[in-house]
Amino acid sequence: MIWSNMETLDREAFRKIQLERLKKTVPRVYNNVPFYKKAFQEAGVEPGDIKTLEDVSKLPMTVKQDFRDNYPFGLFSSPQEEIVRFHASSGTTGKPTVVGYTRNDMDTWSECVARMVSMAGVTNKDTAQISFGYGLFTGALGLQQGLERIGASVIPMSSGNTKKQIMIMKDFRTTTLISTPSYALHMAEIAREMGVDPKTDLNLKFGLFGGEGSTEAMRNELIDSWGLFATENYGMSELIGPGVSGECEALCGMHINEDHFLPEIIDPKTGKVLGEGEVGELVITTITKEALPIIRYRTKDITSLHYEKCECGRTTVRMSKIQGRSDDMLILGGVNVFPSQIEEVLLNTEGIGPHYQIKVFKKGYLDKIEVDVELIDANLLDSFSLLEALRNTIKGRLRTVLGIDAKVTLLEPRSLARFEGKAQRVIDMRGAK
Amino acid sequence: MLVKQISIFIPNVKGSLAKLTSILVKNNIDIRAISVFDTTEFGILRLVVDNPEETVSILTKEGIVAKISDVLAVEPEDKPGSLDEIFQILSDNDINIDYIYSYVMRMRELPYIVLKTDHMEKAAKILIERGIKVIQ
Repeated sequence: MIWSNMETLDREAFRKIQLERLKKTVPRVYNNVPFYKKAFQEAGVEPGDIKTLEDVSKLPMTVKQDFRDNYPFGLFSSPQEEIVRFHASSGTTGKPTVVGYTRNDMDTWSECVARMVSMAGVTNKDTAQISFGYGLFTGALGLQQGLERIGASVIPMSSGNTKKQIMIMKDFRTTTLISTPSYALHMAEIAREMGVDPKTDLNLKFGLFGGEGSTEAMRNELIDSWGLFATENYGMSELIGPGVSGECEALCGMHINEDHFLPEIIDPKTGKVLGEGEVGELVITTITKEALPIIRYRTKDITSLHYEKCECGRTTVRMSKIQGRSDDMLILGGVNVFPSQIEEVLLNTEGIGPHYQIKVFKKGYLDKIEVDVELIDANLLDSFSLLEALRNTIKGRLRTVLGIDAKVTLLEPRSLARFEGKAQRVIDMRGAK
Repeated sequence: MLVKQISIFIPNVKGSLAKLTSILVKNNIDIRAISVFDTTEFGILRLVVDNPEETVSILTKEGIVAKISDVLAVEPEDKPGSLDEIFQILSDNDINIDYIYSYVMRMRELPYIVLKTDHMEKAAKILIERGIKVIQ
């Protein structure tokens, strides 16, 4: 179902609204945020220079480090009395990234998520179990607000306590699962262990997955495990949280809520703006936010934009599946590799489970990579040579992606770490002493 | 005429055999024969137990990859040339042996030899025809 008529505007109408809103946002940050005033001056640009939508490329970009440098509220455009909610992102090193919302921002956020969950097929007839971690993260509360807005019944389950998750899922007749893809796979495993077949003993229809990237192979694995319709959605706390974009039932990219987020694709090396369909880093300017408008935020996510009308009826621009992050890209012996490429190989290999761990280290001056996977197919135990053959198959397929030989280790099922939030499957030890 | 053997995936790390046997002890499973050869990072352990189906389901629940397969158990006579006789018969009939190991039942004098070949039924039939004692 299409939630809002803002999703079906023609291109000219979108451009008009976007320019209007951009022209309001730019002076707002220029006048309220010293960081932006300085950055604008350094770039030699003034709010009055924004005359067309294309002029956005004249504006300076914002990066994650800017949030840290201005911790906690330095990038805010609204005074504290107008802020009704704070959130913060994990920040694996150092200070977290702090974000804030005015009452209008909360309304915008709920609206964006309401569109996104409607796109995925969810209606007020559905019961949605939110298995994202609650707390400072935007994921859980963001989904909750949007789901409540469309009238779905929300179970604010949070992540963890997986056996209880399955019990509630069964007893409350949950139809919609909200979680990271890796946690959903783990939950399916636990369900089966409990003697619950996720496909036949539960009532799940929709899985809305986000919080981390995933591959097509992982989606298939989720569909196989749960027997549900799986969509992916995209967002980040710096921009608003979940609700920036999501997949519709046509599954041909994620529709961006363009009346709130102005997307560009740039070459991550040169910063040059790329055209429609070209692959590069996604850069987004928020054009309606009050508390924390962000100019040209470098998401580090690698994707492309597609403007033709979707078969679902929406005209909003679609971003293709995230191919990786410009900063989690591994360079192995000079070859650029995204962990998602390794995942694709592993998930398409029969006989092993969907969990894996990648370790990268240096031996002398050479990059070495180790990939641990879990054996699940007992039929390979007839002879040692079948196991060897499996290992060599994985090795051979990885070689075509990596350019170097990986050491592949077969482990017992459930011996690798499971993740309740974002999976951390890559350990790069090359920087360690 | 075939014996049920369990094949178990074991990573070559310290304690993996101990982990396995502790599960067997806990569930009162009697090991009749056990065999594992040199391994690289992982290997396959072969086990003959009194209740193979139950054992596999217990092991699977514990997260261990295990599978039942049929093997041949023969009882060669205790004299020079008796193993040779068996291998010659199989070779003459174009049957390849994948691996063998032996086990001794208490209260018996002679060991059994467990054989895994590429044509199990055929091997059993031929050996019986040639007067080799095959354990039923």
